[in-house]
Amino acid sequence: MHLECRFFATYRAIVGQKSLDREFPDGATVAEVLSTLETAYPDLEAQLLDEDGTIRPQLSILKNGRDVTHMEGGETPLEDGDSLSVFPPVAGGASGVR
Amino acid sequence: MSDLNLDPTQLDRYSRHIIMDDVGPEGQKALLDADVLVLGAGGLGSPIVQYLAAAGVGRLGIADDDVVERSNLQRQIVHADADVGRPKVESAAEFVAELNPDVTVDAHETRVTADNVDELLADYDFVVDGSDNFETRFLVNDACTLAGVPFTHGAIYRFEGQITSFTEGQPCYRCLFPEAPPAGEIPDCSEAGVLGVLPGTVGCIQATETVKWILQDAGLAPEADTLDGRMIFYDAMAMTFEDVPVQPDPDCPVCGDDPAISSVQDVEYVETCAIGAD
Repeated sequence: MHLECRFFATYRAIVGQKSLDREFPDGATVAEVLSTLETAYPDLEAQLLDEDGTIRPQLSILKNGRDVTHMEGGETPLEDGDSLSVFPPVAGGASGVR
Repeated sequence: MSDLNLDPTQLDRYSRHIIMDDVGPEGQKALLDADVLVLGAGGLGSPIVQYLAAAGVGRLGIADDDVVERSNLQRQIVHADADVGRPKVESAAEFVAELNPDVTVDAHETRVTADNVDELLADYDFVVDGSDNFETRFLVNDACTLAGVPFTHGAIYRFEGQITSFTEGQPCYRCLFPEAPPAGEIPDCSEAGVLGVLPGTVGCIQATETVKWILQDAGLAPEADTLDGRMIFYDAMAMTFEDVPVQPDPDCPVCGDDPAISSVQDVEYVETCAIGAD
């Protein structure tokens, strides 16, 4: 199946682009796709999933614009044509003093 | 209009507000009677303070413990070259005094901490978070959510901005991000850089949210739709605004069904802002 993976803030720099279109095995879950991405981009290792394979609490993953926390989390199934967005919180207020 | 106690100078100053049905003299009076706390007098705080002061928000608290540096002036437009070295709250308060004599400024030259946040919030109707670090952001979320104080959140990174608002009974920031990233994982503006005009756009949206909340609280602007329950992602490079729904998380440690945080004293506001080990 074909997925659009979208990256925000720090993840853009790691992946080197805002989004990528990529083939994944049919029926892959969110966690499986994130694990594949961690393997494909070594700098993403341990950035998306905790050691137990759950989504890290410091980021949000959206399937077609909705937080997968309110679906089945990492077990949320994906379908051909879905969009998966990966975004972290950012804190900047542009003081830049510290 | 006479019973709303706006003097002739105010009727002139705020005439473009007053002629609109969604504001009118009642809305302008509500703005003049409002007490708003702005956290941070930096890139976000600058346009927030400027527009809220121009709009006639009667009492503005400004909290910041920094001094103006020359590298701030590329985006922190409330400060000028001659202000380098001065406390930001002092410089911002001076700007407001010159802009609008209707506005009283409370200059809080302090860092917002778990020890002073509740006392700070107690005096205000609405909070605008323009702080610059995760510790303060999670602290503000927790304190405002627990106290039922509505607030708007804006944050920036290079060419990107995130903006949302929170009111009682709606999802909070921890519904979206339960914990802060470990220190160093997300670079701040001094490390990552930031487009100078970016906080202007984001701060203006936060100021807009503040004005709308004040009008709605006064029973005006019935069609206003604030950012409660959704977050805007602004990409200045692509010039796109995306709207992402924020849903309540039943497992949220602050506003969930069985919250673990009942006081800011329950949390260590360092590193990931997780609940204290004990």
